[in-house]
Amino acid sequence: MTTNHRARRWALSGAGLTLALSLTACGGNVGGGSDSDEEFPGGDPITMLVGQDPGGSTDLIARAAADGLSDELGVPVTVENRPGANGALAAQQLAGEDPDGHTLMVYNGSLAYITPLAVGEGEAPDIADFDIVTGLSLDDYVLVTAPGSGFSSVEDLAAAGRPITFGTTGVGTGSQLSQELLFAQADIDATAVPFDGGSPTLTAVLGGQVDVGSVQLGEAIEQIESGGLTPIVTFAEERPSYLPDTPTAVEAGYDVPVQQSRAVFAPQGVPDDVMQTLRDGFEAAFETEAYQQLNEDNLLTPLEVDGEEIRERWTENLDNYRAVVEEYGIDLGGDA
Amino acid sequence: MDLAPVLDGFAVVLEPTNLLYCLIGVVVGMLVGVLPGLGPAATIAILLPITIGIEPVTAIIMLAGIFYGAQYGGTITSVLLKLPGEASSVVTVFDGYAMARQGRAGTALGIAAIGSFAGGTISIVALSFLAPLVASFALDFGPPEYTALALLGILLVATVSSGSRLKAVVAACVGLLLATVGRDGFTATERFTFGNLNLADGLDFVPIAMGLFGLGEILYNLEQRHNATQAPTKVANVWPSRQDLRQSSGAIGRGSVIGFFLGILPGGGATLSSLAAYAVEKRRSKTPERFGKGAVEGVAGPETANNAAATSSFIPLLTLGIPANATMAVIFGALLVVGVTPGPQLVTEEPELFWGVVNSMYIGNILLLIMSIPLVGLFVKILRVRPAILAPITVLITLIGVYTVNNSVFDIVLVIVFGVLGYLMKKAGFDPGPLLLAFVLGALLEDGLRRSLLIFDGDATGFFTRPISGTLLVVFLVVAVYPFVASLRSRRRQEPAQDTSDPNTKELV
Repeated sequence: MTTNHRARRWALSGAGLTLALSLTACGGNVGGGSDSDEEFPGGDPITMLVGQDPGGSTDLIARAAADGLSDELGVPVTVENRPGANGALAAQQLAGEDPDGHTLMVYNGSLAYITPLAVGEGEAPDIADFDIVTGLSLDDYVLVTAPGSGFSSVEDLAAAGRPITFGTTGVGTGSQLSQELLFAQADIDATAVPFDGGSPTLTAVLGGQVDVGSVQLGEAIEQIESGGLTPIVTFAEERPSYLPDTPTAVEAGYDVPVQQSRAVFAPQGVPDDVMQTLRDGFEAAFETEAYQQLNEDNLLTPLEVDGEEIRERWTENLDNYRAVVEEYGIDLGGDA
Repeated sequence: MDLAPVLDGFAVVLEPTNLLYCLIGVVVGMLVGVLPGLGPAATIAILLPITIGIEPVTAIIMLAGIFYGAQYGGTITSVLLKLPGEASSVVTVFDGYAMARQGRAGTALGIAAIGSFAGGTISIVALSFLAPLVASFALDFGPPEYTALALLGILLVATVSSGSRLKAVVAACVGLLLATVGRDGFTATERFTFGNLNLADGLDFVPIAMGLFGLGEILYNLEQRHNATQAPTKVANVWPSRQDLRQSSGAIGRGSVIGFFLGILPGGGATLSSLAAYAVEKRRSKTPERFGKGAVEGVAGPETANNAAATSSFIPLLTLGIPANATMAVIFGALLVVGVTPGPQLVTEEPELFWGVVNSMYIGNILLLIMSIPLVGLFVKILRVRPAILAPITVLITLIGVYTVNNSVFDIVLVIVFGVLGYLMKKAGFDPGPLLLAFVLGALLEDGLRRSLLIFDGDATGFFTRPISGTLLVVFLVVAVYPFVASLRSRRRQEPAQDTSDPNTKELV
């Protein structure tokens, strides 16, 4: 039932507490059978917070997952947009909700492993303060340029013989981090020009206002296929199936995998059985045709892994990025 | 030009839902046009939240209908009751009411309706041709061009607005300052957020608009003592005589042109163009002494111009993403709420939305022409609804509405704060319009300038070496210097001040 457990510190929850007490679900080791007759979700609706505006990728993913979950659990699952500060506002709200499984949030990886590098101490939420239900998908960044620029590889950029300008979708985004890392490693003199989101960045690249830009694959694919934009590299770990002919930055010799990733978060302390019901619900949602179609339409690579794996990946990402950023003296905030 | 998207646009308008919302829009528009105080900007601001649930194109069709519908509605009370329901109909009072007292109220309303229709339609046709042309330069518009455009916009807003110029500048400066609140988009440094995450993305446009225009207007109107509604003059002879038509045809033509061009200019719009059209008619007339005593051109000119301007002010918004006046700023907000970013890409990326909205104005104008005469009596009755009933309901709708946009209690607080600010501003004679416009343009200006300087590697002369931004900056200089030259010249000539228009508007005529 909806026992009202106050949020418990993450550090305590890992230790082998008795089952009755370990309601601060430590995701990965749930293994055991769930008390299937426990009444979750009861008849109560589930709210899924989204920290972005309606209509964006995060919102669309949340809505598709919510539909599947609702069908599976038999209760309404409503998406509530709470945009602001790259999702930090929604995360703040989530942290204050009861961990009864009735309030969830679609959490962006960039908020977990990139924003903390750009903003001041304590301005980005800590993923250790949440339970993670399940991973959702990966979104790739691609470095593009206008055909008229004459660039088609990282070497071309290095050989430009002048400082280049690169458009980013904003400060503290994967778009910025991916390019900063690439140009630092390739020793290219480059200036970041931040825009408000993917569409203005693309416009600036198309119009030759900036030399290159890094945007999410789904936003650029139409222009790439029509020849309006030339892809240089993707920042994926391995070539995304949607763009098989473009090398990744890793292949090109630069160690900079940067991807947007999304996962479902819950307030800390969700009971194990509730967590299991939710996970089963999401698994069923991922199987639906509508959800898979959404992934395909938006060029998303499914990453429907366990919550704890997400936690590990994201924590590792943050540590790695922090290390490289320090190594190359990159300042994501006060950009040079 | 390629006509296919234009025709598709008509298909969009003729969908029953869109027709219905167009009708709702123009009826609501006429309604608020009739009600003194509550203008179209306020109404659209209050109705912003309801657009969330409906299709973007449908929502904008309705809001646009409110805007130009209000221009029709404002005429009715000006003519019949000497009570301009809307700022843009103030000049209509001079001759319209005089005509009504001579028993020619019907003629005045008829001419106004015909003029409005003609002005609106001419403006739409011009819009249809001009907008794609502007949009074809879209990719050449980079940060430097936006910087120059925003600079020009802010200058025009401050110098051209009706009322005291100094006060407009002060309001615009406050708007610019408010635009700096939030996490800086270039360095991620917090500015004026006081550690509050709600402010990290800056102040949201919607609650500011709803507060300044919606709540502020309501509060201000409550203070006005409402005169007992006079019995409206009997309306007969709606169809103007042939002589009336002949007399006003020139005024309608000139009004269309004046309205169209002043509507495009930032800071222009319906009110200004109606003043300008009136001044032009009076100056051109061989018998200027008839003005103020029931000259039919005095109704035809301004009424045509305000509708033409209402339509053409959509051009900078839909093609460049720059709102030309306060109402457009609110519609700008509405587009953002429904998930559409107005800008050069709109015509090509969302042709259905663009042409759907543009073409809906043809239909809306026809609807207005059909409705405006028979419904006169009904609309006048609405004036009898007491503010004591109307005001609390509107406040409630406003507050519930703003919450639903972002599900944020903080936004409710913002509306109240800006509502009080809007009220105090009006009370002190400040127009909240320049504040809101400067707020919108301020973000554009700062981001554009900083982006440009990054691209130019800090070299400010780059602005002048690019053709579009260079031209815009030259225009900026001309507009900035012209008032001084003009005032010097007029002082030398000792031109007597015109009795109708306020001194600031003359420079534009």
